[in-house]
Amino acid sequence: MFEDFYIVVIAVLLPLTAGMLVAQRNPYHALVIRGIVGAVAALVYALFGAADVALTEALVGTMLSITLYAIAVRSSMSLRLGLLAAAPCNPDEPASQEPPLAQPLSKALRQALSRHYLRLEIVPYASPQALQFALEKKEIHATCTAVTETLTPTTAQSTASAPYHLSVRLPRLLEIVQNGVPPTLASVSFCRSRQITAANISDSPDARHNIWESQP
Amino acid sequence: MNGILIAMTLALLIPIYEAWQDEDIWQTMLAFASIATKTSIMILVVSVLRDDWMIGLVGVLILSVGNASLMLLAHVLRRMNEL
Repeated sequence: MFEDFYIVVIAVLLPLTAGMLVAQRNPYHALVIRGIVGAVAALVYALFGAADVALTEALVGTMLSITLYAIAVRSSMSLRLGLLAAAPCNPDEPASQEPPLAQPLSKALRQALSRHYLRLEIVPYASPQALQFALEKKEIHATCTAVTETLTPTTAQSTASAPYHLSVRLPRLLEIVQNGVPPTLASVSFCRSRQITAANISDSPDARHNIWESQP
Repeated sequence: MNGILIAMTLALLIPIYEAWQDEDIWQTMLAFASIATKTSIMILVVSVLRDDWMIGLVGVLILSVGNASLMLLAHVLRRMNEL
């Protein structure tokens, strides 16, 4: 019994690391710990003489599955925020890829989302119609629009208490955004996406125009 | 045999504690690299002590594959931080 004591010691590592994996909340940390569990499991399998199982665990369980899951987690755990692209009214500023979003709002939003391990992905759109259509078609999760688009920035800041308006499509995301963004930075509202009929889904500009006009 | 492998297991507990403790993702990746290498070296030690070439071959493959998966995961995480 005592000669095989090391087998018991090594086998105990497997439930230990599995418990660490279950207790982990951050999905990326959980992925790395899944790799650790795979390495320990391959060690235990090799120790018990199952070399083929150990090899399969290392190749599929560790390498393939954590790489695929990393890509899946990375592409799914993000909030896609639609913005209006920079208007060409200011020719002095160099044209930038990133649409304008107020620095404190962007910071508050990123902080609120990172508490839930989400990323902020900014998607620029050319016109308000395209922005609304993207929200209806579930391409984006939320839209951010300036409250007074027509006014100059100085008057907008002086008159409106919240310079931006966030319209969120999903109740859970609305909860997260409302808790994280202070009301002085942006007002937040829930936008229930309407049932889009098959005729409206088509990408023709006429259909897009009809959707926009039928809104109250 | 018993003493060597128990000492290696104790050494393996250090990066496991580090992976459990640390908040930084790159520290966790370092702990993963350490564990992946240590476990495959343990497989190689077991194969030498038991004189089993099949386990030794699998140990060498796991040693290389563990580092490959680490590199793939590091690239995905690095590109996530860039966005």
